[in-house]
Formats: sequence, C-alpha cells, structure tokens
Amino acid sequence: MNKILEEKDFTRRIEEISDQKISDCYQCGRCTAGCPFAKFMDVPPNMVIRFIQLQLKDEVLAASGPWFCAACLVCQTRCPRGVDIPRLMEAVRVFHLRAKQGVIDVNNIDKEFMLDAPPLALMSAFSKYTY
Amino acid sequence: MKLSYYPGCTLYTKAKPLNTSLHASFRAIGAELNELAHWYCCGTTFTLARDNRMSLIAPLRILAKAQGEDSMVLVPCSICYNTLKRANYILKQDPEVLDIINEHLEESYDGNEKVVHPLEFFRDNKELIKSKLKKNLNGIKLACYYGCLLLRPQKELQFDDPESPTIFEAFVNLIGATPVDFPLKVECCGSYLVVNSPDAAIEVVYKLLRNAQGNGAEAIVTSCPLCYYNLDALQNKIKKVHAEFKEIPIFYFSQILAIALGVEEKNLGLEQNKVSPVNILREYNLL
Ligand code: SF4
Ligand code: SF4
Repeated sequence: MNKILEEKDFTRRIEEISDQKISDCYQCGRCTAGCPFAKFMDVPPNMVIRFIQLQLKDEVLAASGPWFCAACLVCQTRCPRGVDIPRLMEAVRVFHLRAKQGVIDVNNIDKEFMLDAPPLALMSAFSKYTY
Repeated sequence: MKLSYYPGCTLYTKAKPLNTSLHASFRAIGAELNELAHWYCCGTTFTLARDNRMSLIAPLRILAKAQGEDSMVLVPCSICYNTLKRANYILKQDPEVLDIINEHLEESYDGNEKVVHPLEFFRDNKELIKSKLKKNLNGIKLACYYGCLLLRPQKELQFDDPESPTIFEAFVNLIGATPVDFPLKVECCGSYLVVNSPDAAIEVVYKLLRNAQGNGAEAIVTSCPLCYYNLDALQNKIKKVHAEFKEIPIFYFSQILAIALGVEEKNLGLEQNKVSPVNILREYNLL
C-alpha cells in the first residue's frame, strides 16, 4: 500500500479503536504536565497525540510512551478538550498487540516476584502487554 | 441485614486480610456479607479499546448473577469495582451492546444492578458504624490513599470528586483516627508497571510515601490490593535506592475499621503486612 495512505489509515484505526477524534487535541500539554510517568517516556502523552495527528505511524509505534502509561486517567480528568488520552494510549498498545508484538515474555518474569505479587498485578500487566 | 458481596480473586489469595477484616467488620455492625454463589474473575483493568466487547462478558455475567440475589452488590477491591462499574455504565448506556452480549450468554442482564464500594456503604450508614465502635483509635494519624480506580473516570463512577475527594477522610474521622493532609492521595501508585517497569513504580511510590510522611502520617490506608502491594512491598527496594527512607505501615481501610470495632486480632490479617504495623498499633494501645 502507498505509504501516505497507510499512515492515514493508521490514524483512522487509532481513532476507531479509541473512539476519539484526534483533531480535538489542541496541544496544550496539560496531559503531559500531570502524568506521573511522563519523565520515563521518550515521547510523552501530548507528543504521542501530536504524532498520531501528523500520521507519523512509525514514530508512534516506536515510542515508549504508551507502554509507560499506567491508565491512571489523571490526564483524562484534566484535558480541557475532553480528549480521553488513556484510550488513545490503549489504542496504540492494542495496535501493537493485534499485530502480535507483545512486549513482555511471561517466561522472563522473575519467579520469586511472580509468587509474591497479587494476581491482579500480573493479570493487569498481561492484559496490557501481551496478546 | 444481608448484603450481596463480590470479593474477586485477589481477596482469596494475596489480599486475604482485606477479605477477613471486612467480613469481621460487617459482622461487628450486625450485617452479613453474602458472597455470590458462583463468581468469576472480573477480567481486571477495564479495557480502554472501544471495539473490545469480549471484555464485557465477565462483568456482565457477574452482574447478572448479582442481580438474581439483590439490587446492589458490595465490591471492596478497587480494580474489580472500577471494572464492574465501568462495564455496567456501558451496558446501561448502550442497549445495543447489552443486547448483543445477552444474546450470546445463558444469563440475561437488564443493566440495573448497583455496584457499591464499602466506603460508600459506610458513608451512608454513619450512625450504625458509630454506635458499634469499641476501641478508641486515639487520633492515630493516617494518610488516606485513594489511588486511581475508585475515582476515575468520575462520570462513570460517581464515587467522589476526582481531584479532591473526601469520603475516605470522613470515614477515618468517623472511626476515631485523624486524617492528615495528603496532596498526592489521588496520584497513581504505578499499578501494573511494577511488573514491567519496576523502577518507575518504585520512584512514584517513594514520592507518595514521602509526601504522606512529610505531612505527619504514621500509616497509610487504602482499598486497592494492587496499591497496597506497591506501597508495602516496594519499600524494601526504596530503601536500597534512598538510604534515608524510613518505613511506614500500610493498612486496608477494613483493617483499621475492624480494630476500631474491637475485632479480635486473628481476624485482622496483620501478619501479612510486609512493613509491620505492630509498633505503631502498640504505641496507640491498639494491640
Ligand atoms: S490535555 Fe488534552 S488538549 Fe491538552 S495536549 Fe493533552 S490531549 Fe491535547
Ligand atoms: S493515563 Fe497514562 S498518559 Fe494519562 S496521566 Fe495516567 S499514565 Fe499518564
């Protein structure tokens, strides 16, 4: 497929999966300002959104931002434009996972930690990081 | 009084103290938690992908089961509460989705079950709780940690103000403890990042604990087994990075309530706390 079309299609898919209108974001940066994990991300929440707006599929898919998003919903509470940012982050994760590019391998998780952690820590992580 | 109850998986495994102390507390106020006859995992962490309907099936089956028994169901785990309540919101708002899922299941659900957190129940039954208090908590200073999932998204949960909630502080006040100011009480504990990016979780938990301690907290109370784990278990790792860090015990809200209601020690589940709360409880004559 022609690259430009494919990238347009990517942005449309993200809008579909998240049920958000990407052009609603006016890049005020408030989501990033309040995100407890922004400092761990190479591309923070507002930039992930900007990349989606600009149809920069490769850049979005290479970003660590969505994987550091804990779905805490602080940004969703504060966005002045009513953008549900964690849904967009989930859409990017889901896009990866549906293409079967999971990020954690269950076999690599520390056994001792696995026995110690509550099952919902593991189940939550598996549902966000595996396919 | 019999109340329909959905414990969720974690209360049977790593969060047993929440389950035992909650059962004991309800017994002490003359009520009985009536566990749903058959229940399943809620699926944990509500899916944020709008086109994923599979993840609504488990919540719908639980809600249908609950509906057969009572018009409301008590759910103490913050993650189960969030998942069930958000699924319930969609099933109520979107009859088309409700129909599609109902069509594929033996159960049938009408969308009218109410999901209630014990803190909401206590808020609505203040006098009852007050009349059953046995032990004076002597104003022990507690930081109330809400985390994310009881509060957000507010439109769907309607639990409390998402930025400055007070329901937890009112509860702590009611049972004779002193809630301290805790500006970071609604910030995330790192949640499931502890599995894949523990360093990020360790750093946010450190920030939270320091914030509580800086405001005079002697212990922290929470309702979520995952918050509980991160706040409690990560303290060991924090000490390795931040030598000056001093431990602070973490309680489930139900453990503190059970103490105030005079529940015997064996039903408090205190031995499962990694950071021992024994010293602080002795200091206040509560053990
Ligand atoms: S807070 Fe909302 S409008 Fe502002 S940058 Fe983030 S998503 Fe865009
Ligand atoms: S939901 Fe995700 S992106 Fe938004 S503030 Fe929380 S961690 Fe950051």
